[in-house]
Amino acid sequence: MPIPTLAEKLQWLKPVPATPYERECAAKLAQGDYEIGAQITNDILDEAMEIFVRSSRSYFGVSGDSMVAIFTAGGDLINASCGTYLHAIIQPIVIKFIQKYYAENPGIFDGDIWYTNDALYGGIHNPDQVALMPVFHKGKLLAWASAALHTTETGAIEPGGMPVSAKSRFEEGLNMPPIKIGEKFKIRNDFLEMYSVYGLRAPAMFISDLRARCTTADRVRVRLIELVEKRGEVYLIGLLRKMQDTAEIGARKKIKDLPDGKFRTVVFNDAIGYTPALVRSCYLTLIKDGGRLIFNFEGTSPENPSSYNVHTQAVVGHIANFMYEYIFHDLPICSSTFSAIDFEFPEGIILNPDKMAATSCCVYIGMQCRCATHNSFAKMSFSSASLWRQVAAAPGSQHSAQICAGLSQWKLAISDVLSFSLNTQGQGGRASTDGMDSYGFAWCAFGRAPDSEQVESELPLSVMLSQHWRDSCGHGIHRGGSGAVQEWMIHKVPNLVSLCMGNGSKVPLGQPLFGGYASAPIPGITVKKNDLLKQMKEGNSELTMDLREMIEKPTVHGDWKYELVARTPKVFEEGDLLFGFSGGGPGYGDPLERDPETVMEDLKNHIISDWTAVNIYKIVYGAERRKVDTEKTKQQRQEERRSRLARGKSYDEFEKDWNKKSPPKEALLYYGTWPDAKSTGPVFRP
Amino acid sequence: MPAEQQNRIRVTEYLDLDVENEKWFCNRCGHELGGARENYKRGCLLYDRDPREIHPPLVSSEFNFSPDPLWVRIVEFYCPSCGVQMETEYLPPGHPLTWDIEIDLDRLKQRLKTGEFKIRKQRLEVSE
Repeated sequence: MPIPTLAEKLQWLKPVPATPYERECAAKLAQGDYEIGAQITNDILDEAMEIFVRSSRSYFGVSGDSMVAIFTAGGDLINASCGTYLHAIIQPIVIKFIQKYYAENPGIFDGDIWYTNDALYGGIHNPDQVALMPVFHKGKLLAWASAALHTTETGAIEPGGMPVSAKSRFEEGLNMPPIKIGEKFKIRNDFLEMYSVYGLRAPAMFISDLRARCTTADRVRVRLIELVEKRGEVYLIGLLRKMQDTAEIGARKKIKDLPDGKFRTVVFNDAIGYTPALVRSCYLTLIKDGGRLIFNFEGTSPENPSSYNVHTQAVVGHIANFMYEYIFHDLPICSSTFSAIDFEFPEGIILNPDKMAATSCCVYIGMQCRCATHNSFAKMSFSSASLWRQVAAAPGSQHSAQICAGLSQWKLAISDVLSFSLNTQGQGGRASTDGMDSYGFAWCAFGRAPDSEQVESELPLSVMLSQHWRDSCGHGIHRGGSGAVQEWMIHKVPNLVSLCMGNGSKVPLGQPLFGGYASAPIPGITVKKNDLLKQMKEGNSELTMDLREMIEKPTVHGDWKYELVARTPKVFEEGDLLFGFSGGGPGYGDPLERDPETVMEDLKNHIISDWTAVNIYKIVYGAERRKVDTEKTKQQRQEERRSRLARGKSYDEFEKDWNKKSPPKEALLYYGTWPDAKSTGPVFRP
Repeated sequence: MPAEQQNRIRVTEYLDLDVENEKWFCNRCGHELGGARENYKRGCLLYDRDPREIHPPLVSSEFNFSPDPLWVRIVEFYCPSCGVQMETEYLPPGHPLTWDIEIDLDRLKQRLKTGEFKIRKQRLEVSE
């Protein structure tokens, strides 16, 4: 079986060397051709993305958690519209696999539609599915077009496409290696029937999303053919070549600007499936060596028998999200930007598991690789005149991914995620300013929070509150952006099944930067058998829709439950309440250096509480008018600095006590050996 | 800024590097933090912070918007002279402290010597 090896995958991430013909075509580009041509590719991709968003049915699709892309005939990425950068650098693996193994049988022809969702063959995880079409002109393969989107159903042992309790790939539902699903520009009916049975929980969404991918990829193909008809083959080939060259030069220049050395970050995750468990989810040593960057993951915890493992290229996908949001933001989204970047994955770690591993919840671990990259990059690039402004703490990545499944108020089968609490995470504090409040989805910076009225019209829910939640952000000179909370009431159906994915209930995710604090953990909250509707009917004026007031002085009475955010499927009844949280971003810098007036602004905007202003930022102010007492604040802060000097211990003295400590044994079930996280034996999977 | 500080490179918000003398310094007060071939954290004061003091529990439950202090601690690193909080690490209790910044000083010196890099406003600028 030609399952790609790690070596093959890493090799396929690298661009194919330019052919003499490509060089010849690139040399023929006239002045302005490149600039105009690059913009034409942007326009083609943006138009296709608009079609994609409008024709998708799942909330990930509607929110824009997707990517549309153009590749060379050899399979290298040239440009993309995102959506998410998760798929950007890694999709060439799929095309190069198809070309290596299927060029002869079944062959690659004009009008083919190829499809895959299998992370073993180059994807992220199986809800992320991609349609790819070769772009032929007069019988010659000139390029490829693709459309990738996360659909929240795969026919797995749990609804929602990311089965938290899956222990091997055999429990994840549809895992489809690259396959030709259409010929002569038509999707095959026999394939559609095979495919649709994996989407029986939500057939309308499942099939609509499949068709949306195909039609989007085809629109890109059509526009590229129009461009070739207008400007000729030489122009297109030359343009694609020059875009690769330009992106590579730009990326190499940025890497050259960095000092050489090793920059390490360690991050932890606090749940494996539904089990609270501590793992060293990424031990990153980022090495800058001459013109190269090397990501080494030695020291990361071993793989485990859950769906919280990540295939190697999915780690690269998560790192691409950081690279394109911050470092390569001004470059074309192009394979060649990663030419000088290499990856080293030891065997058997959670980031390089066995081929039978379940990986459907890989994103929770993969995100920690992105978080670690933020910190290592910050420490490598803060000294660089050209890159220090791009320094930022990791995004808030703890969240509730609440899945609802059952029949809607329209009697339609549904299985979807409530993506508000994904797409409203806070950005990490930055070198020159705060992180943005609810900046987006840590996996998809351009994802949009869905429209509440649309959610209410399609799903059997009422959105009772949407707000930033106080003190969700990490504190610092530049605080992290605030996370958000939404409260959903089951409405207009007798019952609904819901489960929740997520992490970050016991340990804050993402390290802060340069003396800041991390963001607050999130619990899973439900309130069954409550009196909210009754009180609303009665018009109780004491009723509040502010989260902090609700939990500190409950006005809604019922069976309040605070649990680990990842929760097994349960049946909820009409009127029951679910809360979904997105995490705030970690903070940047010593909170004692934050401008007191900015702290007051945060108070006014309900981003932080009085407790935080007084105890973390050490601000002295009048309770009523909230006017800062500058002198007393200065004194308080100076007093705190003196306290630090009094309580701080030297490194050696600190280590004497510290090294005797360890977390409770039950927390280390999946960690590996303590503290170096080596494997404790083979993983047994069903 | 004193002349001797102008040639130091800002490596973090609070950490300066004197390449020539291979020393770490606090950016805020100029206190020396030790040799730059060592972990700068060795020159700091350290404190094991209960995370509930920063992220207080909001409800009485095991899951309460606050980190579990048995699972994670905040290690705070202070400048021993001015008390600025230079760095924090959220680590399980007893987990080894991270040697986060290990700059290749020999290569940096070489790049400065050849003129590939120059120090301007405490940052590394590539000569065009």
